Amino acid sequence: MTKLLDVQAISKYYVHKDGWMPGQRICALEPLSFSLERGETLAIMGETGSGKSTIAKLIAGAERASAGEIFLNGQAMSSMTDQQRCRHVRMIFQDSLRSLNPQITVGKQLCEPLIFNTQMSPQDQKQRVHEVLRKVGLLPDHYHFYPHMLASGQQQRVCIARAIVLEPQIVVADEAFVALDPSIRAQIINLILDLQEDMGISFIFVSHSAEIVKHVSDKILIMHRGKMIEFGTTRALINHPEEQLTKTLLHSEHKYKVPLHSTTKE
Amino acid sequence: MSAILDIRNLSIELETENGPVRVLDRFNLQLAEGEIHTLVGESGSGKSLLAKAILGFINPRWKITADRLWWRHYDLLALNAAQRRIVTGRDMAMIFQDPSSYLDPNDKVGAQLRESIPTGELSGVYLKRRVDRQTRAERLLHRVGIKDTADVMERYPHELSEGLAQKISIAMAIAHNPKLLIADEPTTAMEPSTRGQIYRLLAKLSAGQGMSILMITQDLTAVIPESQRISLIYCGQLMETGPTEEVMQKPYHPYTDAMLSMSLSDQDIAPKTRLPTLSGAIPTLQHMPIGCRLGPRCPYARRACIHQPALTKQQQVQFACHYPLHKDSEHD
Repeated sequence: MTKLLDVQAISKYYVHKDGWMPGQRICALEPLSFSLERGETLAIMGETGSGKSTIAKLIAGAERASAGEIFLNGQAMSSMTDQQRCRHVRMIFQDSLRSLNPQITVGKQLCEPLIFNTQMSPQDQKQRVHEVLRKVGLLPDHYHFYPHMLASGQQQRVCIARAIVLEPQIVVADEAFVALDPSIRAQIINLILDLQEDMGISFIFVSHSAEIVKHVSDKILIMHRGKMIEFGTTRALINHPEEQLTKTLLHSEHKYKVPLHSTTKE
Repeated sequence: MSAILDIRNLSIELETENGPVRVLDRFNLQLAEGEIHTLVGESGSGKSLLAKAILGFINPRWKITADRLWWRHYDLLALNAAQRRIVTGRDMAMIFQDPSSYLDPNDKVGAQLRESIPTGELSGVYLKRRVDRQTRAERLLHRVGIKDTADVMERYPHELSEGLAQKISIAMAIAHNPKLLIADEPTTAMEPSTRGQIYRLLAKLSAGQGMSILMITQDLTAVIPESQRISLIYCGQLMETGPTEEVMQKPYHPYTDAMLSMSLSDQDIAPKTRLPTLSGAIPTLQHMPIGCRLGPRCPYARRACIHQPALTKQQQVQFACHYPLHKDSEHD
């Protein structure tokens, strides 16, 4: 059986267009390869500017790779049309309110991917949107709401609904949990786990919260300055990290449990 | 305990079209000298409003009432604006969530830092004052752990990394040696290694010169070990307050318990299991429930919860709940 997602030696360069030496190449991502099975969750971790968002964008198709190829079910992604591609891979962003159009209702926004990518009749579209709204824990009444009328957690649910309305195989989430309140964040994590179980979606998410990564992911990919320095299953990386950076990233959250009153006594 | 900041029953009401809304409801806080106190609250809980009320950034349309709002021996509510400005300017400082947006983008870091040094503390003629100012600015940068001072001072705010920008804003805040530093979510959206640096720096400053810090955060995972006391606030009501360790080990209030289990700091939770959550969403200001505002989301809520519970004291810990998770038996 072919792998769901097989990334082979993709890399990304940006080129200086002007300045006194045009044509200079800046490497954002050095060639890297990894693969992902159906229903698995991959977490990408790294410091700022390490290229983790670049990978997310390349997989979602927001950027074109400079070299290398991404295979989805054995088919090269560069040979697909945009329509085919976005039926299979969808993306969720960090700031849910800003990624929704403030001028049209939630229902219409959820219909948009269906209008562009399928031949569904308007009735079917509406029915599908109602189904999806219920699936993410909203009510069909929310069809007529505008994004600003919803609370932040509900907005993030709408974003998730928009991502799954085409029943994709892969959802890419770029820092989707950072801006949420703790109690809402736990709800969204539960929702994502539920959806994964129901629909067999593979998630790829970029995060720097070690706790969430440990809880949700099956595999972890660690980035450092555009290079993949470690890739493996979550358990292996937690128990036997090879690189120092992996260790610090996965354990650097402050722990209140450590008794640390020594500084005050000095 | 001699508290330098003493707040009793502080309420803030906002005038809206649909009548007044109480955003902060009888809030209590005592802060001792040199203490780090962490205030944990989700968005809309009124924690930033509290910071503003302490500092006196007050909109005249807000109605602030309190039994006591004392800073050392000043009754802050009795002072007029000019007096209050003097007290605040001398003793308090604040740092914010997104440091690079609070720095002036038009000016170099060095110039902004020199500006924050109080002129009254410099003496001598023009040239000496100028040199003194420069050396003091450099010393400030050393204190917040920046070694390459000459380079950093020549930069503009957009050329700084977020951790560096937060360090600069801390340097500016401690320029006049404040007694109280309010840190409003200083590290949200920062990566963990930078976050650790900022927390260590704040803890060091507090220990080194007896500065009290009121740390405001969203998340229980951001509570640092150096923090002696912690308060949880939900929708403007104080839920539980007490020494950090006791509250974390043995929470009385269901809200504290829920926040603890949701923070994922517990290693016992198996991966991929569903997390315990509070159902529903945070209510908006116009639709605050009566009584205990956690009521509709609380798994233990019963009929009595439509009346707001008074603060109960169990040894060091105070909490506001009719049905605490455990009661200390009378005989121990």
